[in-house]
Amino acid sequence: MKASEAVLAFDCATAATVVGLSIGGELVCDLADRPSDGERPRHAQRLLMLCEEALAEASIDWGQLGRIGVGVGPGTFTGLRIGVATAQGLSQASGLPLVAVSTLEALALPARAADPLARVAAVVDARRGEAFVAGWAPSGEQVVADQSCVPARLAAALAAKAGPSLAVGDGALIFRKELEIGAITVPDDDSPLHLLSGGALCELAAVGDPVGLELLVPNYVRRPDAEISVQRSRKIE
Amino acid sequence: MNAAILAIETSCDDSCAAVLAGDGSILSNVIASQGIHDSYGGVVPELAARHHLTLLTPTITAALDQANLTLGEIERVAVTQGPGLIGALLVGVGQAKAIAAARAIPLVAVDHLQGHVAANFISPDPFEPPFVCLIASGGHTLLARVDDHSSFSVLGETLDDAAGEAFDKGARMLGLGFPGGPAVEALAATGDPEAFDFPTARNVKGCDFSFSGVKTALLYAIRDLGEAQTEARRADLAASYQRAIVEALIGRLTRALDASGLDRAAIGGGVAANGPLRQRVAALGVSSHIPALNLCTDNAAMIASAARFLPDCSSQAALELDAYPSGGQR
Ligand SMILES: [Zn+2]
Repeated sequence: MKASEAVLAFDCATAATVVGLSIGGELVCDLADRPSDGERPRHAQRLLMLCEEALAEASIDWGQLGRIGVGVGPGTFTGLRIGVATAQGLSQASGLPLVAVSTLEALALPARAADPLARVAAVVDARRGEAFVAGWAPSGEQVVADQSCVPARLAAALAAKAGPSLAVGDGALIFRKELEIGAITVPDDDSPLHLLSGGALCELAAVGDPVGLELLVPNYVRRPDAEISVQRSRKIE
Repeated sequence: MNAAILAIETSCDDSCAAVLAGDGSILSNVIASQGIHDSYGGVVPELAARHHLTLLTPTITAALDQANLTLGEIERVAVTQGPGLIGALLVGVGQAKAIAAARAIPLVAVDHLQGHVAANFISPDPFEPPFVCLIASGGHTLLARVDDHSSFSVLGETLDDAAGEAFDKGARMLGLGFPGGPAVEALAATGDPEAFDFPTARNVKGCDFSFSGVKTALLYAIRDLGEAQTEARRADLAASYQRAIVEALIGRLTRALDASGLDRAAIGGGVAANGPLRQRVAALGVSSHIPALNLCTDNAAMIASAARFLPDCSSQAALELDAYPSGGQR
């Protein structure tokens, strides 16, 4: 990408609606709508509002953007699709290149920057008592692949790969006990390291390779329940 | 070619996009059927939503190509806001909002049922209000009084299953595939519609519908006949079952015409593609309008048609637009 390029990046894979805008690698705007406990996510209502707010703050319009980045999860299916559908529409209407950003990688980025020697896991609440998880070595190599995992297996899944020593994200807070038993450090509940940031999204979007509009698909990790139950019943037959 | 409208419809399992000219004539009407739900015997919401996300963009591109227009020549974007499967709707709403925002053109939010009514407004043979509209599909069965181009009032609706659901369930009992409507109609073609006297819910008051009785009657008939006889008389069962559903629909439509004092009737929805129903509506003896088959089943041209008579969202409302699910507020 060009050094002066403006990047708009957003993510709806977690309960938060997160939008960042950077110009030439400099973060200009970092916005988020974070529902409090018990509140429903507001991706559909807030995403484009925050995008327009970011553009206004940077005093540019859609035509002056260089690329769009979108979080492709893993995360909640509906949120993921709102983000991806919005990115597809924006790109189709503007011709802007589209970059898929891993939600977990963006979540882990600030923690990796804060402690370059730490092996960092990003853990996102996957509902149904599970977490979406991935982990990175200090070298930047992803050592734990994106997966969904029950809490009892969480520490083992991370440890098995000589894995992460530090876990961040809303899932790390929910499953703090399970992680700490496995000798994985979880920062304080109010640490900003647990929050997905627009800055991290922009950083990854700026260096990612653009993908074709029709090839942009969420990283669901989980298959739909219907497919799973059909496969199970076929196995029984 | 002024005021061309791009419309998007993703309320169920078809990814639809269409372009309508300002005069209400169709420039393109593209429907990408997912064809993945049949083996599940019904639409699986999560699968539908996933497929919309991969099918909708190429469907929009195809609609623009066939209309020989670019997005730059589109002046308004219309989208189905609800009712329907929420995850499916949100894909269409998300894309429509984004296109409108990035191009700085107005967005129009359309109710899916208003879309079925508005299929009757499409050129070259628009049907003018006032009229009574029967909307029957897998998700809805209702009678609408249509006094103007932008709204309708509900005269009656189903108390239990939708007519399309009744077809689906009957088809399953007869060992036919999903969707049930076309399968039952095909099998019924060689059967005797008078062979079995299935009920048409005549006792349900007013203009409301009920299909639980006919469903139970078919179940009992199959049980009483036994396996061999049922197999031998499947066509008769299908024909009689179809006749009962069609007569239930026609009976209520007639009641609605009487009650409203109107002598104009129109239809819409997937069940309105049923041949015998179309013949019965045409023979009602009132002025009637029967949209082409591909305008009865879900499509985006009908959404664009509805949008022609609806106001633009304010720019704030366009950015904040959310979908509403089945049973949501119109
Ligand atoms: Zn419909």
